[in-house]
Amino acid sequence: MTSSAFSRWWRNLSDGVISTARGMRITLRTFLRKPVTVQYPDEKPDLGGRYRGIHYLEQDLCIYCDACAKACPVDCIEMDATRHGKELEWHAFTLDYNRCMLCELCVYPCPKDCIHQGEEYALVTEDREDMVRDLLTWKGLTEEQKQKVAEVEALKAQRAAGGGE
Amino acid sequence: MDGNFISHLLSASLPPGFPFWGLALLAAFLGALCVVGFVSILALVSVWLERKIAGHIQARLGPMRTGGWHGWSQTLADAIKLLTKEDVILRGADPVLFRLAPALVMGSALAMFAVLPFAPGVQFADIDLGVYFLLAVASLTTIGVIMAGWGSNNKWSLYGAMREAAQATSYEIPLALSLIPPILHFGTFSLLSATEQQSGWGGMQWYIFSDAFWVAIPSFFLFFTAALAENKRAPFDLPESESELVAGFHTEYSGLRFAFFFLEEYAAMFAASAVATAYWLGGWNFPGMTFLSTGSLWLPILGALAFLLKAMFLVCVMIWIRWTLPRLRIDQVMTLGWKYLTPLALGIMVAAAGWEAWRASL
Amino acid sequence: MGLTPSFAQAPGSEVEVAVPTQDCSINMGPQHPATHGVMRLLLKADGEVLTGAQAHLGYLHRCAEKIGENVDWTQYLPYTDRYDYLSAMNNNLGYSLAVEKLMGLEVPERAQWMRVLLAELNRIASHLFAVGTYGLDLGAFTPLFYTLREREEILDLFQEICGARLTCTFIRPGGLFNDAPEGWLEKVESFLCRFEERWKEYDALLLRNKIFIERTAGIGTLSGNDAVTWGVTGPLLRASGVDWDLRRDQPYLVYDQLDFEVPLGVGRQGEVGDCWDRTEVRMSEMLASLSMIRQCLDKMPDGAIQHPDAGPVLRPAPGRAYVGVENPRGELGHWLVSDGTKHPVRVRMRSPSFCNLSVVEHLLPGAMLGDAAAILGSIDIVVGETDR
Ligand code: SF4
Ligand code: SF4
Repeated sequence: MTSSAFSRWWRNLSDGVISTARGMRITLRTFLRKPVTVQYPDEKPDLGGRYRGIHYLEQDLCIYCDACAKACPVDCIEMDATRHGKELEWHAFTLDYNRCMLCELCVYPCPKDCIHQGEEYALVTEDREDMVRDLLTWKGLTEEQKQKVAEVEALKAQRAAGGGE
Repeated sequence: MDGNFISHLLSASLPPGFPFWGLALLAAFLGALCVVGFVSILALVSVWLERKIAGHIQARLGPMRTGGWHGWSQTLADAIKLLTKEDVILRGADPVLFRLAPALVMGSALAMFAVLPFAPGVQFADIDLGVYFLLAVASLTTIGVIMAGWGSNNKWSLYGAMREAAQATSYEIPLALSLIPPILHFGTFSLLSATEQQSGWGGMQWYIFSDAFWVAIPSFFLFFTAALAENKRAPFDLPESESELVAGFHTEYSGLRFAFFFLEEYAAMFAASAVATAYWLGGWNFPGMTFLSTGSLWLPILGALAFLLKAMFLVCVMIWIRWTLPRLRIDQVMTLGWKYLTPLALGIMVAAAGWEAWRASL
Repeated sequence: MGLTPSFAQAPGSEVEVAVPTQDCSINMGPQHPATHGVMRLLLKADGEVLTGAQAHLGYLHRCAEKIGENVDWTQYLPYTDRYDYLSAMNNNLGYSLAVEKLMGLEVPERAQWMRVLLAELNRIASHLFAVGTYGLDLGAFTPLFYTLREREEILDLFQEICGARLTCTFIRPGGLFNDAPEGWLEKVESFLCRFEERWKEYDALLLRNKIFIERTAGIGTLSGNDAVTWGVTGPLLRASGVDWDLRRDQPYLVYDQLDFEVPLGVGRQGEVGDCWDRTEVRMSEMLASLSMIRQCLDKMPDGAIQHPDAGPVLRPAPGRAYVGVENPRGELGHWLVSDGTKHPVRVRMRSPSFCNLSVVEHLLPGAMLGDAAAILGSIDIVVGETDR
């Protein structure tokens, strides 16, 4: 009885010391390894092509069909345009990021495949109103997309100039 | 020769005829200023170290942004933030105890630094009963913590305070017992003379390398473990244990008063490491010190550096342990204290006494 | 009901000192670091020993079930992400299977294998988080960061396949929203190899640590009988020695074609069904999931990932269906009622955390205050799911 109590005592003690030493070895090993974190504002993480960030709209393709707004579970897309025959005069295409949950359900039903979610994600603001983004003003585009937009605009202007002559 | 290096410096530089009481007061004031400054800087450095070590242990970097190089000024910024924060005293709190507690805790932490021998000639007071003064002053912290817990009028704080009371009283015993082997070996309670006795072998005759190493090493580990518990460091951080007691005894503290508790923790960690350094790891002695002439100014400088490095290394080990282990439960803390550390410390004490007696009889 | 300490009588003396003390009632939460979210436990304690506990819920109630009656069948998917936000894929799966049962759809084969793969990956992620935060509850910070490091890799994989990390909305009635991108399956494979190594680290650092064993072995023991009586499911039930896993006993998808073990608690360090067993079961389940994912990768067929009949707007035939799936935390059941329109009539779920949480009132009394965090953590609730 006494011997078993003593051996239990001894086992507890040695177990404690050994497992502590083992744990400290693991932490030391990690201490010597390179950290895995990304220093965020300086380094940007790679988001991958399918990232579901802030939406962008290819305004030229959109046909004002409301399918995206209907598919949205939280009704955060609102759009308004006037039809002039085939031409559309856009008044508004807003997305309320106070409500949006970035679920991509609005992207799938679009018949023209013209609403997408981009890699932009920073929505920090001091004003709730800023969270209602107007997708028509090309806000929230990446540099590349802005460039594309600029090209399209330039093309349009050219065509308009050509049509005017 | 009475007085410490500060009073020596002063008496050399003051005009002759300066009254003695004035000198004593001035020396005390300057000494206190030195300690406060030293402890504050120490705490800043240790907190930064803790964060960086914790970060790297956890495969991340820790604070990186404040102050440029590896976030060195993060703790400074935090200190400023704490100083400027609102000092909240709850309506239901005991106003006297609540205010007194951080002062008491801080005072006890500062008083510990009075007897630490930093370098040859650099010590604030060489008391004959140095270690026992240190232990006595250190346990004042416990009273401060209990006052804080009771005065906060918060159940979580009270739990923290009660745990601290139980834990600190139980661990004082193994802590004091594990100090007996070096005391027997050096035959002194004074940290200064113990350090001086370890200067042989070209600065390497440390207690853990001496002929009594086989008691020195276990007693060192015992002291270290008991000191962890005394200082409420993980795995013995029961009084604050944030996943159980929110923040334990300092839940209700904010601003400067909270900073005092924070500072005390790091000061006490350093003090415990410093005692271990002075008794087991040769204090300021470092290999190669024999090449320096006795009067050289390099001796105190390098000695202080060696002392600080050794003590900081032990502080880092404490940090390392904290970020490795889970926390014990209160009854397990008591079990470990009474059933494991105390008997072991007693056994080592007897072994050390036998060894020293045998050696003396040779 | 306070203990009345009566001091032992000295022989011959007739004096008995009785000091009646009142139990201390403490609010653990709603803002307490160990409640894993906004939940409140009302504890009664006699010193350090607990004499009673009651869970107060509802701080995170978001009307998830009522919302279901106001949105389309597909539109409800993002809401399923948000009840157990640590295992969104599994929730998506549970809901989708229920809708498919209503519609009588047979999902294409590749979609089935992909679903199993994603669900098991998410199970690993969820268990990683559970084990890590459990270490945190017991005062060990570092394991959490190690498990998060690996969980992050899983989330990166999710991000690559569906664009979101936590709220996936990826498994949908009829299949999946998208096929895996080029090279994704190879990335999963390479992650599994890394993960196997790291798993040993958590095991040595946390599970085999003496202090961890002392804190969890023999604490919060739940017997198999009690577990069944309280309606406990998932790792908790299996840790109590009850051999019940929906994946094996009511197989859905292709689980019947997989060869896997169901780890059970055996009381290696203390008693069967204690906190250590629960953690151990979670750890072993990670390895079981790992082998399942390997098998999925081996057998992954080619083909469509979406049933052609399942368009954006679904109109299941009138009827009702219940499907339970094995979530990381237990059985997640969806009870759906359809009247043939595009909106559900009733969406009701049986959430595992809610049923598992009820057992704290049974486990906590008699334990110590420090054990409250240990027991609560071992139950591994997600408050989003208890409150919905
Ligand atoms: S991402 Fe989801 S919530 Fe946001 S607009 Fe699209 S459908 Fe609506
Ligand atoms: S669904 Fe596409 S085309 Fe239709 S309104 Fe939306 S963005 Fe435009």
